[in-house]
Amino acid sequence: MGPAIDPGKLIVTLMAVHLLASILTAETRNLRMATIALIFQSTTLAAIIAVFGVLRGQPWLYAWSASALVTKAVIIPALLFAHIGNFPARELRPIIGFRVSIALIIVFLLVFYRFVHTNMYYIAPTPAAGVEPGRSCLAMAFTVFALGIYVCIIHRDVVKIVIGIILLENGAHLSLVTLAPSLPETTVLGISSNIVVATWLLLILAGRIYKALGTTDTVTLSELRR
Amino acid sequence: MQNVIQTKESLLPLLVFLVPTAMGVITLLIGRIRREFHFEWALLGLLGTLAVSVEITRQIITQNCVLTAWNENFYVDGLSALMEILGCGMGVIIVLYSFRYIPHRLRGDPALPSKLSLYYGLLLLFLGMMNWTCATNNIVMLYVSLEFTTLATAFLVVFYGSRQSLEAGYKYLVLVTIGVLFGLVGLCLIYSAASGLPQMAGRRILLITELGSAAKLMPSSVVLLACALLVAGFGTKAGLVPFHAWLPDAHAEAPAPISALLSGVVIKVGAYALARTVAIFAATYPAVPVFMAVMCSATMLIGIVMAWAQDDVKRLLAFHSVSQMGYIAEGMGMGTYLGIYAGLFHLLNHTLFKGLLFLAIGAVIHATGGLRRMSQMSGLGAKIPVVALCFFTGALAMGGMPPFNGFFSKFTLFLAVTQRHLFWAAVISIATSLLTLACMAHVAYKIFWGPLRVEGPTPAEEVKEVPRTMQAAMLILAILTLAVGVIPRLTYPLLDNATRCIMKIVAG
Repeated sequence: MGPAIDPGKLIVTLMAVHLLASILTAETRNLRMATIALIFQSTTLAAIIAVFGVLRGQPWLYAWSASALVTKAVIIPALLFAHIGNFPARELRPIIGFRVSIALIIVFLLVFYRFVHTNMYYIAPTPAAGVEPGRSCLAMAFTVFALGIYVCIIHRDVVKIVIGIILLENGAHLSLVTLAPSLPETTVLGISSNIVVATWLLLILAGRIYKALGTTDTVTLSELRR
Repeated sequence: MQNVIQTKESLLPLLVFLVPTAMGVITLLIGRIRREFHFEWALLGLLGTLAVSVEITRQIITQNCVLTAWNENFYVDGLSALMEILGCGMGVIIVLYSFRYIPHRLRGDPALPSKLSLYYGLLLLFLGMMNWTCATNNIVMLYVSLEFTTLATAFLVVFYGSRQSLEAGYKYLVLVTIGVLFGLVGLCLIYSAASGLPQMAGRRILLITELGSAAKLMPSSVVLLACALLVAGFGTKAGLVPFHAWLPDAHAEAPAPISALLSGVVIKVGAYALARTVAIFAATYPAVPVFMAVMCSATMLIGIVMAWAQDDVKRLLAFHSVSQMGYIAEGMGMGTYLGIYAGLFHLLNHTLFKGLLFLAIGAVIHATGGLRRMSQMSGLGAKIPVVALCFFTGALAMGGMPPFNGFFSKFTLFLAVTQRHLFWAAVISIATSLLTLACMAHVAYKIFWGPLRVEGPTPAEEVKEVPRTMQAAMLILAILTLAVGVIPRLTYPLLDNATRCIMKIVAG
C-alpha cells in the first residue's frame, strides 16, 4: 500500500502554488498584504524542501525546512511588519501599470521557465537536475530568481525593492535543494542569516531615506548620477 | 621554487576572525555604556588581530605550511595571510587616522560618542568578517562571509547621514547584495557539477581546496556559466565593469578613512573570491583568460575615461579604483604563475597607494573645511607640504612611475599578459597606465601648485598642516609605497607563497 499522498505530485502542486504566491508578493501594492503573501510564499518554499526530504529519503532536509520556515516565514516578515508602519501603506506606483505588469510577468515567467527547463542539461548537467522533480524545481527556482530581479527593476518603492531582494534570495535558496541537497545545516543557517541581517539593515536604511527625503521613491535617489 | 607545502593544525585561523569580531561586538556594546572608550577598544582589537596575522604569516613563510582548523573547514595559506595582514595593517592605520579626523568632521554633533562607537565597532566587525572570508575553506561560506563584509560596511558608507550618503549606501547595499547572490548560484553550480563526478566520490567537494581536482573534469558549459555568474557576483563586489555602479558613489560619500578602507581592502575581498574560484578554471579553459582580458580591459578603459571627467577628487579616485581593479583581476584571470603573481602584487600595491591617496585627500578636506573639488582650490602645497608629499607619492605610484611600487606590479602584469599572447590587452594596459599618470599629475598640479586659493569655509591663510596622527598614518603608507618599489623583493616571500598556493589548488 503506497503513501496516502504521492510526494511527487505534491511537489508539483506546491511549486505551482509557490509561483502563484511569488507573483502575488510581487504585484500586491499594499505592503502589509504583500508581506502576508511573502509569508505564504516562504511557507510553500519550506514545504517543498520538506517533501523533497520524504521523496529522496533525506531526513536532514527536515531541519533545513524548519530553519527556512523560521527565518523566511517568521523572522523576515516580523522585521517587515515592524518597519512597514513607518511608511505609507501602499507602495508607489511602479514603472509599469498593474495589468500590463501582470500580463508581462505571466508571459515572461512561462517562457523563462520553459526555456530553462528545456535547456537544463546545459545549465546544470548534474544527475539531480536531470530527473524530475528536481529538474522542474530548479527551473522554478531560477524563475522565482528572475521574478525577484524583475521586481527590483520595475518597482520604485524602496520597501518593495527589499521584498524583491527577499524573493531573489528565496529563488536562490530553492535552487540549493536541487543543486546542493547535502549542504550542512550550519551552511544553510549561514545563508539564511545573511538575508535576515540584510533585510534588517535595508529596512533601517529605507526608514532613514524616507525620513530624510520624505519619499520612498528610489528614482529620486539619483543626485549622484553624473 | 619549493612545491611541498605541509598542513598544520592551529587555532590561529579561528583567532584571526574571532578576535576582531568579538572586539567589534564589545565596542558596539561598550559604546552604549561607557561612551569614551571606543578608540582604545578598536586599537586594542586591531593590534591583537595584526599580531595574530603577523604570526600566521611568519609560520606560513618560515615553515612552508598552511594552517588549518576545524577539520580543514578553515584553511589559511599564503593568499589568506596576504589579505589578512593587508586588512589588519590598513585597519590600524585607518584607526590612527580617524582618531582626529572623525571627531573633527563631526564637531558639534551631540551624538558624537555613540557615532564613534558605531564607527569603530563596524570597522572591527568588517575586519572580522573579512578575515573569516580569507580563512574559510567552505565554498558556500565564502559567499556568506563575503556578504557579511558588505553588511558590516554599509552603515560606514552612510555614516554622515547626508542625502548623498544615504543614496550611496542604498546603492551599495542593494547592488552588491543582488550581485553576490549571482555568485552564490555560480558556486552552487560548481558544487553540483563536482558532486556529480564519479571521480570525486567520497571527497569533500564543499572545500575550496578540492575544487582544483574537479575543475578539469566538469563540463565546459557549466564551467563557463558558473564563471560568468561568479564574475558577475564577485565582480560586483570588486567593482569590475559593468557591475561597478555602486563604487564611485560609496567611495565619494563615505568618510575619507572609510573610502581608504573601501578601496584598499573591501573591494579586494571580491578580488580574493575571484582568485579562489575563477582563477582555478583559467588554467584549464582557454576561454576564461580571454574572457577576463576583455572584461578587465573594458574595466581599465572605462574607469580611466570616467576619472578624467571628474572634478570631485574622491569620485575621481573611486573611478581610478575601478580601473586599477581591472589590472588585478586581469592578472588573476591569466591562470599562470606570472599572471597570478602580478595580480596579487598589484593588489598589495593598490592597497598601499590608493589608501594613501584617499587619506591624503581626506587631509585636504580636513585642512580646507570640507572642500574636495579641484575647481575650488589651488596652491595648497606650501600650506600642507606633508599632505602634498604623500599625495604625490600615491599619484606617481598609481601612475606606474619608478621607483614606486606601482611600476613593478604593472610591468609584471604586462609580461604576464604578453606571455599569454594577448598583445592587444597589454597595449590597453600600458595605455591606461599612461593615462592614469597624466590624470594624477593633472590632479596633483591643480590642488597643490599655482597661486593659493581656497573657495570654502576656511580662509586660505588659515589652512594649516593636519594633526600628527593623520600625518603619521599617511607617512607610514608613503614609506611602504616607496620601500616596496625600491626593494620589490621585500614582498616576494609572501607573494610567491600566495601564488604557489593558488597554483597548487589549480593543479588539483
